[in-house]
Amino acid sequence: MADNNQTERLLSKKDVFRCYRSWLLWNLSVQNMERMQGPAIVRMLGMVMDKLYPGDREKQKELLERHEPFFNTEPYLGCIVPGVVLGMEEENARSGGVPGELINGVKTALMGPFAGIGDSLYVGTLIPILLSIALGISGESGSVAGPIFYIIAHLAIMIPVTWFMFYRGYTMGIDSAQTILAGGMKDRLTRAINIVGLVVVGCITAQYVNVRTGWVFTSGDMVVDLNSALNGVFPNMITLILALGTYWLMAKKKQGIGKMFLIFFVFALVAYFTKFIA
Amino acid sequence: MNLFQALLIALLGYLSSIYSPWLSLGGWYTIGRPLVAGFLIGLILGDVQQGIILGAAVQALYIGLVTPGGSMPADVNFAAWIGIPLTMVAGQDANFAVALSVPFSFLGVAAVYSVVSFNTLFVHQQDKFIEEGQLEKAVRIPVVGQISNFVVRFVPTFLCIYLGQDFAIAFAQSIPEWLGGVLFTFGSLLPLIGFAILLNYVAKKTTDLTFYLVGFVLAASLGLGIVPVLVFALLLAYMDFRYGKDDNREVA
Repeated sequence: MADNNQTERLLSKKDVFRCYRSWLLWNLSVQNMERMQGPAIVRMLGMVMDKLYPGDREKQKELLERHEPFFNTEPYLGCIVPGVVLGMEEENARSGGVPGELINGVKTALMGPFAGIGDSLYVGTLIPILLSIALGISGESGSVAGPIFYIIAHLAIMIPVTWFMFYRGYTMGIDSAQTILAGGMKDRLTRAINIVGLVVVGCITAQYVNVRTGWVFTSGDMVVDLNSALNGVFPNMITLILALGTYWLMAKKKQGIGKMFLIFFVFALVAYFTKFIA
Repeated sequence: MNLFQALLIALLGYLSSIYSPWLSLGGWYTIGRPLVAGFLIGLILGDVQQGIILGAAVQALYIGLVTPGGSMPADVNFAAWIGIPLTMVAGQDANFAVALSVPFSFLGVAAVYSVVSFNTLFVHQQDKFIEEGQLEKAVRIPVVGQISNFVVRFVPTFLCIYLGQDFAIAFAQSIPEWLGGVLFTFGSLLPLIGFAILLNYVAKKTTDLTFYLVGFVLAASLGLGIVPVLVFALLLAYMDFRYGKDDNREVA
């Protein structure tokens, strides 16, 4: 049974709550197309970096740097993921030796599924149900009972649920980190988590990006729609080619983010006007 | 409506936008819902019942709206917080509100895409702060970076409802189509940069890309959702864990 003795923990329950509150407020505050909720994770960990690595600026910097990469999930049901990150990082600070790759691998592996779960269960089910009830109450009459019902029901359900998810994630993060360290199979587990992360990133690339080309070739009576032709060979092929190309530019040719930004903008400009991308 | 009412409505409209942090759960998913927005707008403009009726009509249009992965097919924020006040001021009915909500929801989408594109500058700044060891400044970026959302939400909402219908409609149609198109294309391509960074992090050797391709194929060719893909990914991970050859095996 993992040791969860409160007196040995670096973070108090109040600290965990501070991180929870930070995430609940700032998760989408600087939402951006490149790293999405990444900066909010950085902020959350920044809330307790002094508790995790007191006085050690170098370690604090590594901590924040570790969480710069892309992160995106449904922020409310999915707040379990930042909770897990917090728990694992605390265990890492306490005992050392939880590889950053493992933490990021777990983070990556979890963010996609919880985006799906959160969007379908919360945004796609709970909210419409509550709204339907509210509309039923006040749709015709304009009674204030409807909106007031929605406000109260929504918050009364989601505030406890999100805290529960976050705290569970936190304790699970600690437990799993301790189990991994105790078992001594860190490298193999890191590799396994990496595999999950790779598959998940491939999946969300296909789901979040869908590039269609508007090029159509005509020759007499024959019309070739390039898009359906390519998709017939391999669905969403253009996205895949662009994705691998981007990876190659950044990983092999070491292009920096700012440069990629410019390249993308010029490409978008040209692609739009030449209808290469529709 | 008077200046104070317009300012208050615009402020609430801002607080209820998807990227606004201040109200958390009470923002986008509570007062951001057109039904509740109508309630609050009705309160401010002095006719609660009408506000709710209008809000209900707009809400019915968008009741099942989901925004997965940051995509935004329609923006209920401008639809509700510009459409409903304008309808109430014009003394019009629910159908009018619903009709108005459509062009303003598209304007809202343009607003969202411009914010998420612009905000990458804040992210790069955060990177820089961290690299330079200015950790407190880096941690503050989500706060500072909120300014873009504020400008893009508060200002148009206020101007549209205060300056009235004619201005609002002209404004909604003023974005040149090509700029909207380029921004949209650019915005839809940008996640590739983020994914490439992530891929760089998890891929150790080129052969690792096979797993990436598997994930892509499962989603693109088989149309599997993320949870089924995760199950498959766990299977692959387990097999590697159990049967894989280690390059540098730790003596267990």
